[in-house]
Amino acid sequence: MTKLKGLARAAQIDKNREERAKEIKAEGGKVAGYFCCYPPLELMTALDYMPIRILGDMNEPLTEADSYLPTVMCCFYRSIMDIAMKGRYNYLDAFIGAHACDGAERVSYIWRSYLKSPCSFYLDIPHTNHAAAIEFFKKQLILLNGELEKTAGKTATAAMIREAVKLHNRQRAMVRQLYGLNRNDPPALSGSEMVQVLVAVMCIPVKEGNALLEEVIEEVRGRAKGPEKKKGRILIWGSLIDDTAMTKLIESCGLNIVIDDTAIGTRSFWVDVDETDDPYEGLAIRYLDKVVCPRTFRDTKNTRREDLDHRFGYMKEMIKGWGVNGVYFNIIRNCDPHGYEIPELRDYFEQMNLPVLVVEQDYATTALESLRTRFQAFAESIG
Amino acid sequence: MEDKKKKKSSAKTLQTAREAGNFGKKILTSAREAAEAGRPVVWAMVDWWLGTTIAKAMGMEICYPENYGALCAAMRKAEPYLDYAEGDGVPNTTCGYARNCIGYTRKLKENNFVIPEDAPGGGMPKPLFLLACGAACDARYKWFQSLGRYMDVPVWTLEFPQTGVMEYFMPGNKKDNITFMVQELRAFVSFLEKLLGKKMNWDNLEAKLDTLFKTHRLAYEVDLLRKAVPSPAVNTDFWALMIPHLYMPDDPEALEYYQRVYDEVKYKVDNKIGAVPNEKYRMIFSELPPWHTLGVFDEYAEKYGVAFAMESWNYHVPSPLPEDEKEKIHDPLELIATYSYHKFNEYAPVALEHRMEPSLFTAPYLKYVKDYRIDGLFAHPLISCRPATYTLMHLRNLLMEKFKIPSVIVEGDIVDIRVFNEEESHAKMEAFIETMDHYREIRKKEGFEW
Repeated sequence: MTKLKGLARAAQIDKNREERAKEIKAEGGKVAGYFCCYPPLELMTALDYMPIRILGDMNEPLTEADSYLPTVMCCFYRSIMDIAMKGRYNYLDAFIGAHACDGAERVSYIWRSYLKSPCSFYLDIPHTNHAAAIEFFKKQLILLNGELEKTAGKTATAAMIREAVKLHNRQRAMVRQLYGLNRNDPPALSGSEMVQVLVAVMCIPVKEGNALLEEVIEEVRGRAKGPEKKKGRILIWGSLIDDTAMTKLIESCGLNIVIDDTAIGTRSFWVDVDETDDPYEGLAIRYLDKVVCPRTFRDTKNTRREDLDHRFGYMKEMIKGWGVNGVYFNIIRNCDPHGYEIPELRDYFEQMNLPVLVVEQDYATTALESLRTRFQAFAESIG
Repeated sequence: MEDKKKKKSSAKTLQTAREAGNFGKKILTSAREAAEAGRPVVWAMVDWWLGTTIAKAMGMEICYPENYGALCAAMRKAEPYLDYAEGDGVPNTTCGYARNCIGYTRKLKENNFVIPEDAPGGGMPKPLFLLACGAACDARYKWFQSLGRYMDVPVWTLEFPQTGVMEYFMPGNKKDNITFMVQELRAFVSFLEKLLGKKMNWDNLEAKLDTLFKTHRLAYEVDLLRKAVPSPAVNTDFWALMIPHLYMPDDPEALEYYQRVYDEVKYKVDNKIGAVPNEKYRMIFSELPPWHTLGVFDEYAEKYGVAFAMESWNYHVPSPLPEDEKEKIHDPLELIATYSYHKFNEYAPVALEHRMEPSLFTAPYLKYVKDYRIDGLFAHPLISCRPATYTLMHLRNLLMEKFKIPSVIVEGDIVDIRVFNEEESHAKMEAFIETMDHYREIRKKEGFEW
């Protein structure tokens, strides 16, 4: 890979997402692909697998998926299955499916029926964050580690996992630092650049990701000109965005994306793993309890207001800290965990006098342009 | 034309199936009577007898909004509720049962929680709490959570771990799953005790479990009888019969009823009386039906001699727990957890044999098609129920690859009649008959038993 630096390198990796994985394979290394933000990266890193987030491809027409998945299911996971069946992920030494949501769960099963990897594990993820759920999830992680060890041909000691925790926590801290640069107006980094950086670090080894983040932070801090000032400073909430076609469209409509609550964005980086004596304990708590996604049910609180604050209150800090004046709900069509939240969360933001735009999109670049007028109208409604 | 449109419920072939609707009425009537008497009512998801059996043992009456959605659809009264929910911003791609319930709850709220007079089936009274369940799909806890917008009642979500096929066989994993479920059931009992201010009635729970297992054994034996050729009962019978065994198997009335179901089916088998006169083709249906147009299956039977010999894995009872396993369990919560877990995992060995996943929604059909000598799969992708739809194409592939059984795909919905094209379904079925003939020949050449 050409030795570009910083944002240019991130853009290059984003464009060629599997390139580093294939290089590592060619060098004799191992690669583990995983769904969503729930399989602990630390377990993969500790055993010298390069973790790679399995993503879809908004530019790839769905020509294979229909043979395996009906059209009414999550467009993102349909895309994943489509490109997987076309061989995009054939290099994986380990496949880690996950019960993150119905789409991830069923595609994990179907993937494993057709695509065989040397190592394969379906990570069951409880629906609640109850103490028993965390204990159960910890046992699932130990099983996952056992399977990874078999193919890795080595054992992950507690010390090795703790070392990996440090590396990934370092990465999370740097991503948060990067987001922190967007508190200013105009933000230091565009939403599109952020997507490129975050996708890039999900497609390279953690140490390389950390080096890349250092370069990016230095570059962004030092550059004379970043995004232009715009009237709209928006938070994106909802299903993931992994392609700059989406963010560029938004940003071309008079909106700056300054912060997000999505699975490629802050959800994957916002909280650290505690460095517990038993590393599985810290991993289970972090990944099941601390990662906040609508897919995890949190017990109802005493009053309606308490319940809403318990579920959504963390975004108040984002609104305040990043000077957000509008919220875009990005819903990939047929995404139930986010779909059911729409009325309640819209009310929650509107009570804060924040305009909300809800768009159900089809995870395809060909279907984006028709959304332009909606983003333009939304931008005009802000301020 | 108008008459034809109106008459779309199924006639059913079993006399006992025609009576099953009384159980649906009983559920709603009992709940309303309880509410009027000041006794607690719960709205619950189907939970495969996990938490509802416990809640009933504590004296709670249960309403099932999923079943209520089916009822509203069957009465063709769901559309206004769907519109109401969608008007509040709920995507029209979410579960039809959920949108029906959300719309209904909004109406209930607008009527100060007095059941509107025009509520189908007399309506569901306001619950004390909502019992969600993690099994099968995300909607079944997210939907209840979203009802907080209309009524301030707590939600309890029952954990229902879902393991992969290979993981099922990993040492210790089954035990870990059941231990987790038991821990969660204990937490649920504590939640109920706190909410109701009284202690769990363990004797009542054990009595209910005893009745449940007896009812389920009969329901299981009815399933076994249905292997007979000609098929003594069909899918439309089953979708009526499932009300007692799915929602109220712990009720002595359901047990007595199921004995009569068994007797009727046994009589038909013994006397070779088919549900469909002149049965020519035996089909299987996956997964949830168009409740609004069940009469279409009567028409397929009449026109093509199609008997739907099996259907809807998710709503059948599992095989009984092995006695030696059951005898070792003395804690009723562990017994419930083991049984519910068994329901979702009993086909893991079938999945392993065929090197496929998942053991739910898919693997059972790989056994059914042999046991019930199936000629074709009727796959019904639902516009608004993804969990019952996700695996249909996969199932289609597997049945063709492993058994040379073809599939017909007819899209529709459980509740939303707006997306079901009945005429198109007839056109597809007509063409599919020849396809089934063709693959019968192929199966014969390849040495299959049917």
